[in-house]
Amino acid sequence: MASLLHPNPAVASGPGYSFSQTPITAVAGNREHGFYPYTDNGGSTLGITGSDFAILAGDTRSTSGYNINTRYAPKVFRIGGDDETGAGAHLVLSVVGFAADGQALKERLDMVVKMYRYQHGKKMSVKACAQKLSTILYQKRFFPYYVHAILGGLDEEGKGALYSYDPVGSYEREQCRAAGAAASLIMPFLDNQVNFKNQYIPASGEGHALQARQPEPLPRHDVEQLVGDGLQMLVITKEGIEEIFEPLKKD
Amino acid sequence: MRGATILKASDDKTRELNKHTLMAFTGEVGDTVQFAEYIQANIQLYSMRNDTDLGPSAVANFVRGELARSLRSKKPYTVNLLLGGMDPITKKPSLYWLDYLAALAPLPYAAHGYAQYYCLSILDKHHHPDIDYEQGVKILRMCTDELKRRLPIDFKGMLVKVVDKDGIREIEYDDSKPVASA
Amino acid sequence: MDALVAQYSRPAFANEGYSEEEQQELSQATPPLSLKFALPPIARPAAFLRATTDDHANPNCPIKLAHGTTTLAFRFKGGIIVATDSRATAGNWIASQTVKKVIEINNCLLGTMAGGAADCQYWLAYLGMQCRLHELRHKRRISVAAASKILANLVYSYKGMGLSMGTMCAGVTPQEGPALYYIDSDGTRLAGNLFCVGSGQTFAYGVLDAEYHYDLSEEAALELGRRSILAATHRDAYSGGFINLYHVKEDGWVKHGFNDTAPIFWRTKMAGEFSNVTSELV
Repeated sequence: MASLLHPNPAVASGPGYSFSQTPITAVAGNREHGFYPYTDNGGSTLGITGSDFAILAGDTRSTSGYNINTRYAPKVFRIGGDDETGAGAHLVLSVVGFAADGQALKERLDMVVKMYRYQHGKKMSVKACAQKLSTILYQKRFFPYYVHAILGGLDEEGKGALYSYDPVGSYEREQCRAAGAAASLIMPFLDNQVNFKNQYIPASGEGHALQARQPEPLPRHDVEQLVGDGLQMLVITKEGIEEIFEPLKKD
Repeated sequence: MRGATILKASDDKTRELNKHTLMAFTGEVGDTVQFAEYIQANIQLYSMRNDTDLGPSAVANFVRGELARSLRSKKPYTVNLLLGGMDPITKKPSLYWLDYLAALAPLPYAAHGYAQYYCLSILDKHHHPDIDYEQGVKILRMCTDELKRRLPIDFKGMLVKVVDKDGIREIEYDDSKPVASA
Repeated sequence: MDALVAQYSRPAFANEGYSEEEQQELSQATPPLSLKFALPPIARPAAFLRATTDDHANPNCPIKLAHGTTTLAFRFKGGIIVATDSRATAGNWIASQTVKKVIEINNCLLGTMAGGAADCQYWLAYLGMQCRLHELRHKRRISVAAASKILANLVYSYKGMGLSMGTMCAGVTPQEGPALYYIDSDGTRLAGNLFCVGSGQTFAYGVLDAEYHYDLSEEAALELGRRSILAATHRDAYSGGFINLYHVKEDGWVKHGFNDTAPIFWRTKMAGEFSNVTSELV
């Protein structure tokens, strides 16, 4: 904190290192050769928002290479809940990419949101949480979290809010976003069906009304083609967060 | 070896194929002139044998064919071409863009190499289908000025040739004036 | 002897987990934008970063970062025009078509974003914070020269670490008048009348240079900015989306829309330009 008061602290003290001392592995020499602490655990996530809801969905398969680690490993998490079940949460985070980084990120954000409520006596807004998530990701600019994160919730006006991130924290509020292995197949579909791209008659761009709170069937179908095992969806409305689990083909 | 030295500042990188078709070329040293003169000889041979000239589109497709054949040979020509011509019968001007991979595109304006990055946006804006010769030269001036202003290398002058109903001619093109930058 | 060494040297795992201080930081709900960054526990973090995130050096890199693309700004008698496209690409994938590449540092200062999207967002936000602190300390707004120098020094201190940004700071202050600076992650900082930054820069320069004058009217300047971005979106595959237009004046900046390029393109084409594009169905 003190460093921030200096007009240009980076020049005064050099880049800030988060390691308290020179890492021991660096001294050990050859051990660092081929340092590659990442793996891709596959899968896809997607989020859609509307006038009074936000949906975040992800498949539940975790893979490494051609192996399936498990058929049920959630990628979508409740953030800022009262207990370990996540009850009472008002935000949802989905992470796809490297599951361990995703887990770490989720836990960090969860802690921040909880501490915010503890210190300020109110729930963190999605907007604030979105900015915070960006800085958390950027703190690891030089050793990134290998994840594509999507944050969902309801904004101050009760409208669905969705923020998407790149691995080092550039973010943007959007109506819909797909991430992960099938992003290149889901995103064009979402562009067409949610933002009415390449349709001759453009619509307002405001999200569709949530029909009986059922997520749109087509994205689900799309996901089904690309990923497997299970589809987990968290639907955020003013009533809270509802979880829907849909078993998919196990092949 | 030659190294990075300018051997000649006034090299003519064009060949007249027949009375009303002109071909400009860039690419691998050696390949360019060899290929251009090979094409030139063949087009001239056609004119002699048949006592009539090939039209620009026929020439373009012939050149494309030769490039495509070369591409599949043991040692392909690495030559990029622009082919401008005036159809002797219809009196319509045409321009063809060819690259060493034998892609052929008829275009209203074209460029090769770095000039594409600097000039195509100017041409996109200022070229209109019905411009006259003077306006054409004016747009060319905008392009060469931009190259002088922004291209990190000095290309040592321009050689400008015009193809119209009277055939091919070289025109005076003064590019000695320095260009002011914003 | 070995026992003695073992007694006084710390095992490798002593560094694992979070220290007291780090835990404090983690639980702090809203720590400000800081200069503390995690580094991989190896001798040459920059090489690691290049191998994993730099798709230019390594097209198969696993972590593709979002990149910005065509931005321009120029000074004229009525102030400064700032215009950008809105496309973000990650490798060959269009990650977004709706990026806001003009960053509003405060109501008189604008920054533009080209290069790493996260780098620009974070450091321009940080610059905004520094500018506000300057205002509070000195009771007057920071000059554009000073603001741009904060950014330039900052990115220079990270030189070689893989930051990627090409940004312009545009603002009007009483002491300087309209001022425009170009700053990039190599450490370049230049004042000037006219800059285009990004992969579509040459196309934008082409249109802009040909018709740029300092004495342009406001209307003509806005149109020239818009048309230059349009030229770049037409020819550069990594630029596109929407045209974001701003005009910086003495009393702050004015936004002139975030408009889809498609209708603007067809309107321009119908006026006789872009004659290489056919509009008939063949």
